[in-house]
Amino acid sequence: MRSTRRSLQALVAVTAATMALAACSSEGGAQSEGGGGGGGGGGGAADQEFTIAMITHEAPGDTFWDKIRNGAEAAAANHNITLNYSNDPDAGAQATLIQNQVSSQVDGLAVTMPNPDAIGPAAQAAVEAGIPTVAFNAGGDAYKDFGILMYFGSNEDLAGQSVGSKISQDNPGKTVCVIQEQGQVQLEGRCAGVAKTAPDSEVLYVNGRDLPSVQQTIGAKLQQDTSIANIVTLGADIALASQKAIADAGSSAQVATFDLNADVAQQIQDGGIAFTVDQQPYVQGYMAVTSLWLNLTNGNDIGGGAPVLTGPSIVDSSNIEQIIPYTANNTR
Amino acid sequence: MTDTIADHAASDLKAGESLVEMEGVGKAYGAIRALEGVNLTVKAGEVTCVLGDNGAGKSTLIKIISGLHPHSEGTLKVDGKERHFSSPREALDTGIATVYQDLAVVGLMEVWRNFFLGSEIRKGRYPLAPLDIKAMRQIADTELQKMGITVKDINQPIGTLSGGQRQCVAIARAVYFGARVLILDEPTAALGVKQSGVVLKYTAAARDAGLGVVFITHNPHHAYMVGDHFIILKLGRRVLDKKRSEVGLEELTAEMAGGQELAELSHELKR
Amino acid sequence: MSSSVATQQPAQSSSPPTPAAAGRPQKSLFARVLARPEVGALAAAIVIFAFFYAVAPTFRSLPAASTYLYASSTIGIVAVGVALLMIGGEFDLSSGVAVTTAALTAAMSCYQLSLNVWVGVVVSLVVALAIGFVNGYLVVRTGIPSFLVTLSTFFVLQGLNLGVTKLITGAVATPNVSGLDGFASARAVFASDIDLGIITLKITVLWWLAFVAVGTWVLLRTRVGNWIFASGGNEASARAVGVPVKKVKIGLFMAVGFLAWFLGMHLLMNFSSVQAGIGVGNEFVYIIAAVVGGALLTGGYGSAVGSALGAVIFGMTTQGIVFAGWDPNWFKTFLGAMLLMAVMVNLYIKNYAAQRK
Repeated sequence: MRSTRRSLQALVAVTAATMALAACSSEGGAQSEGGGGGGGGGGGAADQEFTIAMITHEAPGDTFWDKIRNGAEAAAANHNITLNYSNDPDAGAQATLIQNQVSSQVDGLAVTMPNPDAIGPAAQAAVEAGIPTVAFNAGGDAYKDFGILMYFGSNEDLAGQSVGSKISQDNPGKTVCVIQEQGQVQLEGRCAGVAKTAPDSEVLYVNGRDLPSVQQTIGAKLQQDTSIANIVTLGADIALASQKAIADAGSSAQVATFDLNADVAQQIQDGGIAFTVDQQPYVQGYMAVTSLWLNLTNGNDIGGGAPVLTGPSIVDSSNIEQIIPYTANNTR
Repeated sequence: MTDTIADHAASDLKAGESLVEMEGVGKAYGAIRALEGVNLTVKAGEVTCVLGDNGAGKSTLIKIISGLHPHSEGTLKVDGKERHFSSPREALDTGIATVYQDLAVVGLMEVWRNFFLGSEIRKGRYPLAPLDIKAMRQIADTELQKMGITVKDINQPIGTLSGGQRQCVAIARAVYFGARVLILDEPTAALGVKQSGVVLKYTAAARDAGLGVVFITHNPHHAYMVGDHFIILKLGRRVLDKKRSEVGLEELTAEMAGGQELAELSHELKR
Repeated sequence: MSSSVATQQPAQSSSPPTPAAAGRPQKSLFARVLARPEVGALAAAIVIFAFFYAVAPTFRSLPAASTYLYASSTIGIVAVGVALLMIGGEFDLSSGVAVTTAALTAAMSCYQLSLNVWVGVVVSLVVALAIGFVNGYLVVRTGIPSFLVTLSTFFVLQGLNLGVTKLITGAVATPNVSGLDGFASARAVFASDIDLGIITLKITVLWWLAFVAVGTWVLLRTRVGNWIFASGGNEASARAVGVPVKKVKIGLFMAVGFLAWFLGMHLLMNFSSVQAGIGVGNEFVYIIAAVVGGALLTGGYGSAVGSALGAVIFGMTTQGIVFAGWDPNWFKTFLGAMLLMAVMVNLYIKNYAAQRK
């Protein structure tokens, strides 16, 4: 094996050399960005330090969840809260995570409930153990059944309808709604909402974990049906892939999407994407933690017994200028 | 068919000359001593038979000579020079070729690819130089034909040949590539009587061509047909070491069957 | 690793190869073609092509061909390496995630340091080869089945993709690299459109064909190819005749790393930015392509062309269902049925070939 060790050394040497030789600089990039924007503002000093657990159904590696977490962390920093974040896309595993937090007697609990039947009972156990519990992002129809105090999130059906009606108004025609995870209740709900107000629409399923295949499948759909006037995507990266597909197919379809990130914001500004519906994930994370803090320190309960809606907030060419700086901070 | 083996055998071999000498060779795997104090000499033009039951240390002995596992004690000399092999390639380069019972060949590969495996002919020396497939097919075909091995198609997977034929191809390959010492690991174990006969004839032919042969088996009848020198291993030790003139088939058979131990056992169980 | 083997000259006294050997009856060309590992996959690909040609009018157009060839190429590029590795007797479950790792590494290394994109391309190549090397080294050194070793790498890389990206960029996606120097030329190499007059192809299709050609040539026409078959077919016997099995296997893992890197570069140059969580699950698509293309799960048998046909079958089926405009709820069911059909045609042809022997 001596020679393999030698090749390992060579490998290290090559890496070092590449890094050293990389002198040619570029115009863009992090080095030209100047001083980074600061994090969450004011350090609200609270007398008592609380521990709050946040358990979500995040599948790792999605920018959307990143913003929920950023919001939650900013709120925790403001109120001197220790935040225990954990996640598992599998409903059963998520319920177990909740049970763990309940038995470690946290002061407050914030959960998402994409599958209320599986996750609800675990949250109810927390409520019965006297832990203030809020739901956010998913589970707006069911949270009350388990004795949960408040809910922060958008209504998928409502958000879908607002997209549908905007399309019907601005660019009526055949609409394809692209779902990147077949059978996901929230995503199906959005497209169902779109179909209510834009009746000439159909669903297309793609594999969201494989972007080239997203592009290929949307491209195939555009070739198959040349009358398509609108593509509605349910995630920021899917929107960008669908733009490629439109270019490949030589189609003139317009892209509307859910969710916001820096690239989508840029595209809205440049006119590549018509508009996006933002459910403001930062607000969901921020409010979930802050509402628990208010409840713990001041006995508040927000929403008057009804869900607090964080969206849909429509972002298009009329308001993009104001929003674009926040997308760079990863807070919108 | 014997003359072709003689044709290929390295010309500097003199009958009776010592090719491999092992003295006090042993091997321990951690706390387990698989082999200890083995003396063995392989002479040109002789067949040295190593007999033993399962777990006697035969395969450890082969692994040491063929370079798969280095020995941990004693000395191993090849052509008078002390050696400590760290890979089969090193052993091959000194002219020691091993033909294994089950692993003589790669079943799914063509006969000619098997024949040249590890010693391919190429049209150039640079990495990824193309193979000289035409030449290899022709040589393999001719060699096998000359040695009386009839293959329907040199391009057929070698797994379609019979067990005896596969062993013979492996032996022919070793001889063709200039082996001086041939180690045969249980070449007849999985074969029927007729197939075994073919392999034994080859073994004798290799010996007559001046090669030193180490014939490993647990069948004393097969050993006695071709052997010049017999060593019996038991639990990693040498329990018998005799020339053909000093030992008969009965003694070999009895010793293999358990020898003294067996006699004691039969005394104990006497009714 | 090239010097020692060629020195084994056959004994000089051997008679030169005589033309007499040529008189041996050779099998007909047809029989020999039937014995190739990829013939079943070829038949299945033709059947599936004919099927969609019949039911989906848009499938017949050239732009549609461009789309499903593109789909096949993004599977097929890595599948070539995976097929070679499987012939060599090993698995790589980390290949899907390694694609993402390569893309992330390239994007972050050049963006964070404001360097030319090509620097990121080179750095990520080194990283991808290192991943392959570590996989291979661990497999040959520890003797643990590659299934387990690369499963571990799969999880490790998945975590690193997220953790490191978050640590460096503060988000779980890389920044957009399209503004950096060298992006245009990198895009031309990895993600451009090639206009061939009658049809516009993605450049990945051409690269894919090139990789398949190289893979085929290495397998069938070089010593290394012989060693790959032997390492997978019978490792112990290959080692006994002096084949450097460990080096062959490490090399194969590194080849998979190289191809994963290539696809990663396509991903990055095509989309300008990469999310850290993608790529999971594609390792099985690559393995499926290799197996549908005739590679044995146990090693020692298969072909690079077969992996390409497997990729075409997968690509044509996934896109063909869309072209046919079938109810999308049933998409996965159609996909499963089509793959089963491909495998059955494959098996039928192989049995037919075996009977003719």
